[in-house]
Amino acid sequence: MSTAAVANKKTKWMGGESPFDISYGKMMMWFFLMSDAFTFGAFLISYGTIRFASPLWPDPNSVFRAFPGGFENAPLMFVSLMTFILIVSSVTMVLAVHSGHCRDKKGVVKWMLWTILGGIAFLSCQAWEWVHLHHEGAWVGAFRDGMNMEHLPNFFSENVDAETLRLYGADAAHKFFNFFFAITGFHGFHVFSGVIFNIMILVFTMNGVFDRKGHYEWVEKCGLYWHFVDLVWVFVFTCFYLL
Amino acid sequence: MGHFSDYEADQSRLYNIGHVEDINSEKSKAKVKGIWKITGILTVITIIEVGLGLSLADKMGDYRWVLNLAFIILTIAKALFIVSNFMHLGDENKGMKLMIYVPLTLFIWFIIAFLADGSWWLEISQALGYSHPS
Repeated sequence: MSTAAVANKKTKWMGGESPFDISYGKMMMWFFLMSDAFTFGAFLISYGTIRFASPLWPDPNSVFRAFPGGFENAPLMFVSLMTFILIVSSVTMVLAVHSGHCRDKKGVVKWMLWTILGGIAFLSCQAWEWVHLHHEGAWVGAFRDGMNMEHLPNFFSENVDAETLRLYGADAAHKFFNFFFAITGFHGFHVFSGVIFNIMILVFTMNGVFDRKGHYEWVEKCGLYWHFVDLVWVFVFTCFYLL
Repeated sequence: MGHFSDYEADQSRLYNIGHVEDINSEKSKAKVKGIWKITGILTVITIIEVGLGLSLADKMGDYRWVLNLAFIILTIAKALFIVSNFMHLGDENKGMKLMIYVPLTLFIWFIIAFLADGSWWLEISQALGYSHPS
């Protein structure tokens, strides 16, 4: 009796409905983000491996201490601003998704515009930071050819003595900046493509595509991607600028 | 409930995405308020992280790992806030949540194994004199 009752109990795995109660597109977006998380994870963990294998490592408070306008001693201030910009653009994205749930076209347009603006502001900040570091001699492959060595002490803590710096400084800075430009570049490219997707969503919304489709789920899917980009930045920020 | 013949055509009939809320309703306003609250929390955590980084980074000496542990805990807290609130994973059903969270636990092995590998390289190269200060 009791076994028959269990067998007859309908579960959501018995067909006819979606067990995860989520649309195909959203689930695939989650799967893509999972795989992307492992890609970024592999990058950041390899950064960690090389850092653990190095006797000396640049000091983030020394590397990232410039601020636009000629400020040369404002450690972490600029990257905090970048982090704040990305967090705020994530918030405007959630508000766009929320407006989409309410079929509030005007709201979606307004918040998507702010999100796109935030993305562009972040990319501009990153461009400034890259250019600034490039002026200090840092680039992919730098400090391997004996060039720009006079900048080397700028990247390390004052407590590092000259002999240690002479032995390991160039090698450590070389590895650090290779990872820095590769990982922030990969992340920046994600932000860039996110901005493109967001612009597409904005155009679709303004043209009434989602009103005709009957739902604003595309906003939600692009929102997932955009939040993921913010999420990755949270980890990049910790690994490169704090630890 | 759902009919799979409609699957490709109109998913709004299969799932709840056709559901409409009123932007001016109390429920909607409460949601927006919640979103700004999470923003506040994320900002405050970031300010705390930067504050710790600026004030304590060179002063911890051998206890630097305590500071690093604090950074990692705060980072994971921020990540969970983003995933469960901004990405609405908290609102999905249990199966969906498990499908995302469970594979991520691979990172525990991933991080421990590779950092251990890194420190082994440093140890062995110093023991063999490859990177020991002469």
